[in-house]
Amino acid sequence: MSTTTQESLAVGRPFVPSLPRTHRAWHGGLLGSEFAWAIAFAVPYALLFCAFVIYPVAYGLWLGSSPALYTELFSDPRFLTAVVNTCLYVGIGVNLKMVLAFLLSGFFMRKRWWVKSLLVIYILPWAVPALPAFMSIHWMLNGQWGFLNSALWMLFGIDGPTWLNSHWLGMGANIASYIWKNMPFWTVIFIAGRMAIPQELYEAADMDGATGLRRFRHVTFPLMAQLYLVSTLLSTIWSLGDFNAVFFVSGGGPAMSTEVLATLGIRYAFTIGDPRLGVACVMCALPLLIPIVVLLMHKMRKQEVQL
Amino acid sequence: MHRMSRRSMLASSVGLAAAGALSRPYIANAAATTATVWQVQGFFPEEDEAFRKVVADYEKLSGNKIDYSIMPFMALNQKAVSALTSGDVPDLVFHDAPDTILPQFAWNDTLMDVTDVVETQKSKLSQTALDASNYYNGAKKARGFYLCPVKQACVPFHIWGDLVEKAGFKLSDAPKTWDAYWDFFKQLQKPLRDKGMRKVYSLGLQVTTVGPNDGNNLFVGFMLANGFSNIVSSDGKLHTDDPAMREAAIKSITWMAAAYNGGYVPQEALSWNDADDNNGFHEKLFVMDFDGTLSTELAMFKDKKVYMEDMVTMGLPAGNDGKPIPAQVGAGGGFIPKGAKNFEVAKDYMKYFMQPEVMNANLKQGLGRWVPSIPQLMKDDAFWLDPSDPHRPVYVREMLGPTIPIYNAYNPAYGQVQAEQLWMQSVADIIKNGMTAQAAVDKAFRRAEAIFTKFTFG
Repeated sequence: MSTTTQESLAVGRPFVPSLPRTHRAWHGGLLGSEFAWAIAFAVPYALLFCAFVIYPVAYGLWLGSSPALYTELFSDPRFLTAVVNTCLYVGIGVNLKMVLAFLLSGFFMRKRWWVKSLLVIYILPWAVPALPAFMSIHWMLNGQWGFLNSALWMLFGIDGPTWLNSHWLGMGANIASYIWKNMPFWTVIFIAGRMAIPQELYEAADMDGATGLRRFRHVTFPLMAQLYLVSTLLSTIWSLGDFNAVFFVSGGGPAMSTEVLATLGIRYAFTIGDPRLGVACVMCALPLLIPIVVLLMHKMRKQEVQL
Repeated sequence: MHRMSRRSMLASSVGLAAAGALSRPYIANAAATTATVWQVQGFFPEEDEAFRKVVADYEKLSGNKIDYSIMPFMALNQKAVSALTSGDVPDLVFHDAPDTILPQFAWNDTLMDVTDVVETQKSKLSQTALDASNYYNGAKKARGFYLCPVKQACVPFHIWGDLVEKAGFKLSDAPKTWDAYWDFFKQLQKPLRDKGMRKVYSLGLQVTTVGPNDGNNLFVGFMLANGFSNIVSSDGKLHTDDPAMREAAIKSITWMAAAYNGGYVPQEALSWNDADDNNGFHEKLFVMDFDGTLSTELAMFKDKKVYMEDMVTMGLPAGNDGKPIPAQVGAGGGFIPKGAKNFEVAKDYMKYFMQPEVMNANLKQGLGRWVPSIPQLMKDDAFWLDPSDPHRPVYVREMLGPTIPIYNAYNPAYGQVQAEQLWMQSVADIIKNGMTAQAAVDKAFRRAEAIFTKFTFG
């Protein structure tokens, strides 16, 4: 009797004859009815994944596959403006948001009751629905009867600028709205990351005389760096397709000077009625998106941190 | 209690799936006389109620069922574009202003020809309703009716009469030619601001490039007033090569840019979306504007003082040459996507809806925001010209006067020109980028010509 058989009988488990390695690999180590059940539970998910992820992505790639679409895109001066705007929106918006979120996460780690209360209020922008929030900002920024300029007049006697009438103020309003809406989420993520840092490390650092900035530089930052990078990459991926802030705050104006790829794509698809052109417009973000995704997957692999 | 084993659970699941598959033919048969209709949401609840009544009456009369969804304008646009792209289409789309997307659909041969439906009322329909429903099919190389027109609208002037009086002027003193008429309102701004209305402006000029339509309507109004109506002719040709068009375009955008730079227009107007001008008017941000339909007035319908006394609706003044200006008019109604499973029911429903008495009752119940596509109804039914309403008769008289159809009907390329907001972009080029009017017009013309080259008629 083989050793394997003896061991199986010794622990009261039924003996299962050994299968080839490839078979075991394909079956994930499962045998018989257990494998059947695993398939039964996995198939519905796989079907939904194919229907709602694979198919739409493949259909989108097919819709935007004609080279003539890209010729048409590059002949439209608004497209190049949208590309530049997208780079600014993502570059400034994401980085500023993540830096601020990271710094604020340190503040919100304090144990005072009023800090905890402030955190609840701070998270509200993220919790409220995006559309009414951005539309409210659009109305607040109205140069004539908006809240901001009315307050400036009442409090200081100042006539505020026409916020959405300038390319740079419009871009600034879009980026500020985007940061305001999304920063709370990443702050919470960073708070969770800070909470995972063992207190013993801080105690050891205290004993070595490392406080304040030195503690941050030698303990907090090295341990948070991976999380920060992964979060930034993820936020960049999400922001490349961001539509709500630009569409509902500045509307892409003035004179379409603040359009980004997502809003321009929607305009092509549903205002002009050329969905293929709209898809092609958004797909132009792929050369930037794919390397970021690859880098993100690479960074998601578990790595040790050397303090 | 029976203990469920994994085998019995698997067997039950398979059985359930099989039952669902086998029962489908019964469900399919039950839908044979049901049409799926996507209906645009009205501005007021009364419009939606009016639509529901038409549906209920039709169902009672015909025995057919209308499975409808009411959705906002932009959402309907998006759904319609998505449906026609994917091929998963409803049986009927009922749209108030389909001219932004309908011409392209017809060009791409994704719509069903509805000539047989239009024929039932063709002799009664206005010429502009017929023209605005007739589109060129790029695959068939022929025109056909692709819209069943039920409603139409024009663009009147909306004025705060109480502000005109407050400024010490009388509307009856307003000149009768286009530029002078607009200039009349400029002089109201200073006296109103001196009386404490710090942020009031004279003109709600929609020099916006955000869209969708206000800036385009404004440009056409100015072009017509400057004596040029042939931007796109009925053969689908763009006439940017006509010196008269260039001259009229330069005059039009020069006037608009000067009004903006002169401080008579809210600075925000460059970025107005579809609701901002209406909101601005209701806030008394400006004294007057030029905007489609009576939605501006009807939004204040329940405030009787405002509706009956303070707000004034005025029709078109004459052109700058003293000649009457035609009103540019589109049409709203139903169109049937190709591939609709129950198109027979959809056609039957539209034949019912286009009957004069049904059309008239529906639009009256919708507070008269839209007028019937059959002009005789407006003459015969006292509702439309009821002198006790201060707004509707003015609006209807503009509709009964000279009209021209929208240019989108002649060539779908004009729809893209409008979607790109080329004309207001040229105004913005003067205001924001310091271009001369000539350079701005030439830039817009070049882009329009490039768009038109995509659509060649056989």
